[in-house]
This record gives sequence, structure tokens and C-alpha cells, in this order.
Amino acid sequence: MAAPPLQLHTPASIGPASGPGDIKSRPAWSPYDDNGGTCVAVAGSDYCIVAASTRLSTGFSILTRDCSKLFQISEQVYIASAGFQADIRALQKMLQTRNVMYQHIHRKPMSASALAQLLGNNLYYKRFFPYFTWNLCVGLDPEGKGSVYTYDPVGSFERVGYSCQGSGKDLIQPVLDNQLKAASPLVLPSENWMTALPLEQAQDLVRDAFVSAGERDIYTGDCVEILTITTGGVHRETLDLKKD
Amino acid sequence: MFLTRSEYDRGVNTFSPEGRLFQVEYAIEAIKLGSTAIGVRTTDGVVLAVEKRVTSPLLEPRSIEKVAEVDKHIGVAMSGLTADARTLIDHARVECQQHRFSYNEPMPVESCTQSLCGLALQFGEDDEDKDRMSRPFGVALLVAGWDEEGPVLFSTDPSGKYLKCKAHAIGSGSEGAETTLLEQYKADMSYPDAEKLALSTLKQVMEEKVTATNVDIAAVRPSEDKLGQYKLYNESEIEAVIARL
Amino acid sequence: MTAGFQFDLCNRNRLLESKGVQGASVTKTGTTIAGLVFKDGVVLGADTRSTSGSTVADKNCEKIHFIAPNIYCCGAGTAADTENVTGMISSSLDLHRYATGRESRVVTAMTMLKSHLFRYQGYVSAALVLGGVDFRGPHLFTVYPHGSTDALPFCTMGSGSLNAMAVFEAGYKDDLTREEAVELVANAIKAGIYNDLGSGSNVDICVITKGKVDYLRNHEYLQNKTYQRRHPVTYGKGTTKVTKEKIIPLSELTIQDGDATAMDTS
Repeated sequence: MAAPPLQLHTPASIGPASGPGDIKSRPAWSPYDDNGGTCVAVAGSDYCIVAASTRLSTGFSILTRDCSKLFQISEQVYIASAGFQADIRALQKMLQTRNVMYQHIHRKPMSASALAQLLGNNLYYKRFFPYFTWNLCVGLDPEGKGSVYTYDPVGSFERVGYSCQGSGKDLIQPVLDNQLKAASPLVLPSENWMTALPLEQAQDLVRDAFVSAGERDIYTGDCVEILTITTGGVHRETLDLKKD
Repeated sequence: MFLTRSEYDRGVNTFSPEGRLFQVEYAIEAIKLGSTAIGVRTTDGVVLAVEKRVTSPLLEPRSIEKVAEVDKHIGVAMSGLTADARTLIDHARVECQQHRFSYNEPMPVESCTQSLCGLALQFGEDDEDKDRMSRPFGVALLVAGWDEEGPVLFSTDPSGKYLKCKAHAIGSGSEGAETTLLEQYKADMSYPDAEKLALSTLKQVMEEKVTATNVDIAAVRPSEDKLGQYKLYNESEIEAVIARL
Repeated sequence: MTAGFQFDLCNRNRLLESKGVQGASVTKTGTTIAGLVFKDGVVLGADTRSTSGSTVADKNCEKIHFIAPNIYCCGAGTAADTENVTGMISSSLDLHRYATGRESRVVTAMTMLKSHLFRYQGYVSAALVLGGVDFRGPHLFTVYPHGSTDALPFCTMGSGSLNAMAVFEAGYKDDLTREEAVELVANAIKAGIYNDLGSGSNVDICVITKGKVDYLRNHEYLQNKTYQRRHPVTYGKGTTKVTKEKIIPLSELTIQDGDATAMDTS
């Protein structure tokens, strides 16, 4: 990084006074920040993997090395979010509230598809002052198959077989495309959008993807949290990444 | 009969010293004047059969609507002041659409029924909300639907109470019909048998002879995607059921 | 042809930029570099990460540049600028030694660097930590991109400079031993590696004493991966289908005598 010029006499101290009221001298302020981090989800025929790195950063600084980006909505439904942490928290809080209301009214947990639609609507609701978040909604469908929904910040979403969001997306998504054999959405009849990989191999791929992204993406590091969702329950593991 | 009720039946917000809300009870009485509606639930569908009182040959029978679709998977039959039912049905339709919009799934039938009863209970509240009535709704509903639980039938009344039923009748002929349903309903009956039971029970309590124009039959039965779908019978389909009686 | 940079494309680039054309991005060494004077000489240290935006461009680059046999220089900023500016001064000093027959002085290198950087008003973005030992003893300087300099007993530069300086402020004493000095500099660099996202990978150290230089490349190696793939994917022969094949035997090739153009030696 280039250091700012060392100035012994700033122009302001010599020239005419420019106080805080001077509009030109006011620093640009943004309501948004990018706190980095990477999320990956892979849907299988009887499982769903969702994983996210735990580093939280701003600029060139690390805020914490241990911040989960995964959020449980109901027993088998999670969202994974990257982007601006304050917006992520606001979104999680809102979805949590809506889920509790849903359970009281309808006496059942929210399904992945119901949450997917709800999240889509709420992102679009803030179309002109968006939540600065990149999300994945993950769970099992009624048949027990993995389901992954991928979003943009303003609520466009799609059910896919696997997806990656966040700062390591450019590095990981092409690898997933190659390894998980994305059928083109243009191929008709649509085929093979869910991976045929056995669970252990899919987990292996996810771990490797994070370790490799940690080598090259400065915002991905410290640790990765990997959840495997099956009808039998949710299994959680963590894997250390490099701390530099 | 009403001698002891004195002035406690004026306001809808006032309990009598015996703990009764007379206006609500009167509203329930109004239903006993209404045309009969019968609902029967089986494992492969719910049938609704209603009587249409064609009081004059100058009436166009098709204009009498006593069953209505609320959403693809929910239908209701009504008895009592059917104009009041319109308000309730409009409300339920909006709720079902909102649920689909929010969650991309059909609304559970019980949630829909509960929402209907919620509105039925809001009479007399001081509020700017124009939807709310100053008196109880004078109508009872049979809500037939199909959701994750399978086929379900609910019955609602003006007090906002709802019951989950295997078979139920509302309206002027309800007492007689209930007796017949109690005798003849079987838990394992087939859908065609339920069709027959509903219509034959209706026939017993109707003053006129049953024809394809003075009854309506509606069903919630499985469609191609395995979920139940609401369907109103046309004249020839009604005639086919009559022929089996 | 005159010496120095050519600026004739500046106006064209400004025009293109105003029409929305993106300029080329440069590799920055978002860096932690540090230097320290100890009892017998100077210790220089640097991390080995170079970045392009948020991507790591090189996981093990060299940021301690040779200036003269008794002088080395750590560089932060735009990689091309630090490499070229140190290279230019290095070769100038080489000529200078041929002309004078004496060992280069650290102040000479420092003065040449600052006058070059000042001429380009900060556009040559090189932030440097220059250290060496000459007949006057050990010297340590920082050189800022705009051409100002400081002479200090310990100094840091780059995006991780605050992390490294925190370690120096806590641990620096006058007249450290060589071992103490190397450890302190390595710790300062590691503070940058772990806490500054622009810095990373390994620690390079350079110890300069009277008549001796120890360039400790990858003094601390911190590169181990935390996971090895258990089911690596291999691509068998024939994964990419051969659709057409044509073999030309060498014996069938003939050498054509054409009109060879003479090399331009003018």
C-alpha cells in the first residue's frame, strides 16, 4: 500500500479556512461495507452440504477470525450469507421473526422452498436500498433431496444443484462447475442439476475448495464451518484454514 | 322464548348476566333458516352438497351460488345470510393468495379457516377498518380442502368457532341431516359412496325434489400433481350422481 | 530518444477514461516491511505476499532488493515501481563504484532514490526501507513515494506497518544483539502477516553487518496447507476427444531456400 503523502504544511492550514461546514471537504460516507467471506452449498440426492468461512474483515483488517455466516431457520433449513455483516444480521433477525410467526400460525416448520420465497420477497422489498448481502438458502425438499437456492442482493433467486457466494466466488464457482457437471440450463429436457457425487466425495471437494480459496483470496481464511444436512440430522465440522 | 333476554340483546359487546352474547346466538339462529349444506370427508376427497332454493321459475338457478372456490385447493359451502359469506370468502381468497406470494406454497386449510374465524370474531370492534362488521356475520361455512395432511373438512359458525369434521351439515335441515350422517358415515367409505351419502342426505331434508338445477355439488379431489383441487360439478355430473341414488 | 518515462499516451488515456474505459490494474505489494539498527549492523525484514485487488498474485515474492553489496532495500507499493526504482539505483551505484573505486554509501543510495521519486511527484509509488553498512557504520532510512526521507533506528512501511510498528514499539531497545534483532524483526513481520490482509505467506530477513550480508530467504516458512484432497480428480487419456489427426514425418519436410533478409545492424 502506498502511504499517504507526508505533508508538513497542509494546504488547509495555510490557505483560507475550510471547516467541517465546507461541503467539499466532507469525506464521502457509505452506508455499506464489505466484510468478505465465502459460502458454498452442494445438493445431493440424499444430503445437502453448506459451508462458510469464519473470517470477518474490513479493508485490510481482520475484525474477527470466528464469526459464523450460517444461520439456522428451522431444523433442516439454513441460510448462508456473505457481504455486509450489519445487513446480514438484520436479515437473519427478520427471517427468524417471520419463521416464529409462521410456526405459530401454521403449526409446522418452514420448508426450504417457503423460506426461499420469503427471503426473495424480503430482498426485493428493499430493491432501492438493498441489503448488501449475497445469500444461499439451503435445506432438504419434501422428498429428502438436497435443495439449494442462490440469490442476488435484490431478490432474484433460483433453485440450483450447487452454488458459491461471497469473496471467493470467482475462485470456487468455476471449480464446482467443472467437478459437479452443471448441465446447461439451455439443455432440454433439463437434466442432472443435482450432483451425483457420494456424500464423502462432495465433502472432500468442499474442503479442498475452501483451502484453495484461502490460498488466493485475502478475505477467505482462518476457519471453515461445514454442515451436512440429511434426514438423519445435521452434522457440523470445522476445518482450519491459513491465518495470514 | 326471549322473555328473559330483555335489554341484553342490544349491543354486540355486552354479555348478559348469565354470560351470554345474545346477538351471536341470534346470528346462529339465522343459519337455521338457511338452505342446507352438507360436507363429507373421505380419504380420497371431500364432497360438498348444497341446496339451492329456487323460489320462482323466473329465477335463473345458476345465479344462486352457495359454494365457492377460495383457492385451487380450498372450497367453501355456505348457509345463512349468503351476502355475509361474500365478505368472508373475499378475505379468505386474499389470505390464500398472500400465503402463496410469501411462501410459494398453498395455504394450510386450517390456517385459512382460522383466518376466516378471526375475521368473523372482529365484529363490533371500534376501528377504522372498513372490513369489520358492526354485527356478527349471519353465516356458517363448511370449508373443504386438501393440504399436507390430506383431505380436511372444517365447519365454522358466527361465533368464530371452528371444528374439524368427518361429516357435517349446516342450515335448516342440519339436525335431520346430522342424524342420517351419524348413521351412515363410515371412516373407510369411498369417494363415490360419500357423494351418494351427501346427496341422499340432502334429498331427505329438502322440501323439493332433487334436480340438477336445485343442488350444487363441489369436490376437493386429487389432481395430476397428487394435491387436491377444487371442482364444481356441472349439470350432467350432478345428474349422474342423482341417477345413482 | 530521451531518457525517462514517455508521457505521450497520457492525454489519450485520459480521454478513454472519461469515456468509461477501464485502465489496467497493477500488482501491489500490500506489504509489511521493516528495518532495525542493532549493535553491529542492520536487519531488514519483509513478508512475501503480492496482491492484485483482493487476489493473491504471488505467494512467495521477494521484497528485499539488492542495491549494493553492502546495501539492501525493502519495497512496498506498486511492484513494478519498487523493482525498477531499486534496479535503476543499483546499476547507477555500480557505475559509481567503477568510477570512484570505493564502497557505496547508504546516503548516496538514499539521495538518488529520493530525487528520483520526488521528480515523479508520487506517481512512482514506491515506499522503501533502505538499510546498509558503510565506512560510517550502519544506516537505516525510510523513503516515501513523494520523495521525503527519514533516518531512524527502527522503521516500518506498507499496509502492515502499524502492526509491525506495534511490535517494534513494544520490543525495541538500543544495541540489541544480532539474534535478538532478527527475532524482533521476524515478529514484527509476522504481526503484519497475520493481522494485515495485504501481507502474508513467509518471512524474509536480511542481516547486513560490516563486510557481511546474510540474506535469509524464507527465514520462517508458514505455507503448509491444512487439507489434502482425498479423492483427487484425474482426467484419463482421451478426455478431450481427438477429432482429426494428421502426422507429417520429418523426412518429408524440405527446407526452402528463400530470400533471407540480412539482419539490421545499422
